[in-house]
Amino acid sequence: MRDHKTIICRCEEVSLEDLVRTAESYRCSSRELKLRTRAGMGQCGGRTCRALVDSITQKCTNDSTPHDIPLGYQAPIRPITFSIMGEKKDE
Amino acid sequence: MSKGRIIDHPILGRLDEREEVHFTFDENKLIGYEGETIAAALLANGERVLRCHEETGKLRGIYCNIGHCMECRVNVGNQKSVRACLTVIQEGMEVKSGRKLPTPFKKGETQ
Repeated sequence: MRDHKTIICRCEEVSLEDLVRTAESYRCSSRELKLRTRAGMGQCGGRTCRALVDSITQKCTNDSTPHDIPLGYQAPIRPITFSIMGEKKDE
Repeated sequence: MSKGRIIDHPILGRLDEREEVHFTFDENKLIGYEGETIAAALLANGERVLRCHEETGKLRGIYCNIGHCMECRVNVGNQKSVRACLTVIQEGMEVKSGRKLPTPFKKGETQ
């Protein structure tokens, strides 16, 4: 672990410290925090850290800005490889 | 207690005899039993590291073991990103662990 920082997003290795610092300095919504730090964009599709990122934005930008919509569920719901979507089978 | 498997469980009783399955993990030959998942067979053989993080290279292995977290993804034959905890081992299966990928465009890294 990077000197024992609490990791929130395991797939992208985003720590709590990064998230809090970004959320406070840019006062961003969940979606913007996800875009800035990549937390929630990993292979597991945000299963582990989606709720945590939402709660971090709630805490850090306490007047939870009106346009603050929680993080959504982006397709594909299950990760798939490109080869499934039409790899040329060389017989 | 054989290497890595509970043969005689106080409640579940004795592990029944199963066919041996030969497969390779990163080119070394391992033996698992029929009906075991790749993750279980590797764990029984003492292999805990299934891949390393594509960007930072940190070692990763089984985490949820029920197919949600994608931490146990390995390459089987030419198929990439296969979940080891859900895939049952077959005879002669070639499992390769995930490697750190180059990041040529990251600042400070010139390749």
